[in-house]
Amino acid sequence: MLKIRNLSAYYGSVRALSGVTCHIREGEIVTLIGANGAGKTTLLNAVCGLVRRDGDLEFSGHSLKGMAPEEIVGLGISQVPEGRQLFAPMTVAENLELGAYRRYRKESKAAIQADLERIYQLFPRLKDRLTQKAGTMSGGEQQMLAIGRALMARPRLLLLDEPSLGLAPIVVEDILARLSQLRAEGMTILLVEQNARVALKVADRAYVLETGRIILSGTAADLLQDRQVTRAYLGRDYKDFTEGR
Amino acid sequence: MRHPEIEAMIRGELELLQLERLQSTLTRAYRQVKFYRRQFDRLGLNLDGIRSLSDLTRLPCTTREDLSENYPYGLFAVPLRDIVRILSSPGTTEKPLVVGYAAQDIKLWLELLARLYTAADITREDILQIILPQGLANWRRDLQAGAEYLGASVIPPATLNFAKELMVMRDYKTSVLVTTPPVARHLLTVMARMDLTPAELSLKKALLVASPLPEAVRREIEAGFQVTCATAYGITEVMGPGLAFSCGADGGLHFSEDHFYPEIIDPETGAPVPPGTQGELVITTLSTVAFPLVRFRSGDRTSLIQEPCACGRTLVRLGEIAGRTDPIFSVGGIKVHPDQIGALLAEALQGHPPKFSYRVVSEEGLEILDIELTVEEVFFSDEIKALECLCRRARRHLADHLGINARIILKEEAAR
Repeated sequence: MLKIRNLSAYYGSVRALSGVTCHIREGEIVTLIGANGAGKTTLLNAVCGLVRRDGDLEFSGHSLKGMAPEEIVGLGISQVPEGRQLFAPMTVAENLELGAYRRYRKESKAAIQADLERIYQLFPRLKDRLTQKAGTMSGGEQQMLAIGRALMARPRLLLLDEPSLGLAPIVVEDILARLSQLRAEGMTILLVEQNARVALKVADRAYVLETGRIILSGTAADLLQDRQVTRAYLGRDYKDFTEGR
Repeated sequence: MRHPEIEAMIRGELELLQLERLQSTLTRAYRQVKFYRRQFDRLGLNLDGIRSLSDLTRLPCTTREDLSENYPYGLFAVPLRDIVRILSSPGTTEKPLVVGYAAQDIKLWLELLARLYTAADITREDILQIILPQGLANWRRDLQAGAEYLGASVIPPATLNFAKELMVMRDYKTSVLVTTPPVARHLLTVMARMDLTPAELSLKKALLVASPLPEAVRREIEAGFQVTCATAYGITEVMGPGLAFSCGADGGLHFSEDHFYPEIIDPETGAPVPPGTQGELVITTLSTVAFPLVRFRSGDRTSLIQEPCACGRTLVRLGEIAGRTDPIFSVGGIKVHPDQIGALLAEALQGHPPKFSYRVVSEEGLEILDIELTVEEVFFSDEIKALECLCRRARRHLADHLGINARIILKEEAAR
């Protein structure tokens, strides 16, 4: 579904990604794991056209070369950014409606209403708080709202950046269970996580990024067993890690 | 097919998968193995330059000598405590070649063996009997482990004589014989001597490994045992038998391209040859973690068949293995370098450099190394016993070190 070839991305003159090649098949949950600054968020931003990039990006047969971020959303790629980036003074309902801003002109009110219902089904807590200001909700609820808002654009590929950030473990579990549910309904998901353990539990496959390059890839189950991954990203085996060779 | 999503993958998608795995393998090799880092830096090569599969040709090849020079652990890409298996093979010098496996490499290796068996239409219902000589220890272990992983019933290699092996084959109702082409031919002669007919056996298939299988030999074995033959290709340095395997359609051996990238080069110039042309097979690992190999020169002369196969697999096929590009030769499937023979004979002669010639002969199907050793004054004795003892010592020495069957024929020194 998404094919990325030799992708490099830059912040000014700093290159944050070097020659990354990877792919996501339809219906998969793929996760990117890596330390701070490895280039995970940059990769998501590069897919969305938010940073300067070169390389080949192909989404369902369409090249993303030179496309503006809003056109990329139109093709069916939505990002849930790190730190949710909600419109804090606005209500839950308003935030969700904004997620569908590209669709109002083209589609009927009924279609959008149907999608809202679907999101309430996925996250019943949002329905209870429709008139609450987004900024006053708990972290977990905000994350649900951020995902809900992204879904209102009717994406086929959902990019999630650190959904577990700052959330209690039990809330993280709940959010990840929703992702599995979304995938079961046909959604394709690219998940960026610092919390590699939870990410590998929910994902089918993973890529490990180290200073802007992919250093390892494989099924999530395999990488959970990988000693290098365990040491570096799962916090186990620390003695081995510090002792070196 | 064990992995239809891979084995019959659309070529374009397979190539993307290969490219992403190649790039991450090269990144790992460069960052974690000093040898590769030095190689790349010396040539001023940058990982950014590898943007397509064909860019791989810019990188230098790795040889068996490189492996020897980095004996024992120099090419490992993970700390030793992550290694769960350490394998050695004789190599071409006195230092063996050492290969390491991490836990996930073992898992991959088992899957590749299961892929090989599945392609040969061997299932968990089968009873496999493995008859492989001691010298093929790596093949023995690999094929046994793979068949057990598949869930088949396995009769592991034993040190029975061939008549006993045939008795086991008949009484245990073996359905698959796993052996080398020379041993299979020898078993046929023993069968004839025992008046055993294929109708008394339950054999359905023969998996013939470790040496090439010429069409004539294949037909002889198929007719003799009333079976269909399958075969596989592998080298110890690159994960053993799982590299390539035959399919029902029987045109060449499908190469497990999702985990290994094959190239054919001109052994003289090192340049890639036009598609379909014979040359030396060069292999780059795409998935192995502990022991990444970049452009390893196999020494085997073969070609790549790009045309689609009737079996539906899209994996490229190896053509016939048409010999070696180096002096290494095979005695019953065991790879031997002439220098090793010389060195072992010298040891048997208390350090005296031997004058000798050799050839591989076939006796009742089995391959034996005939060595003609010139008797020189330094070790000449007028006692026949002493000379016989010398022959025995040399023969045992070769068997101990290489696991091959040898025969020493003494020859008078030519008159000066």
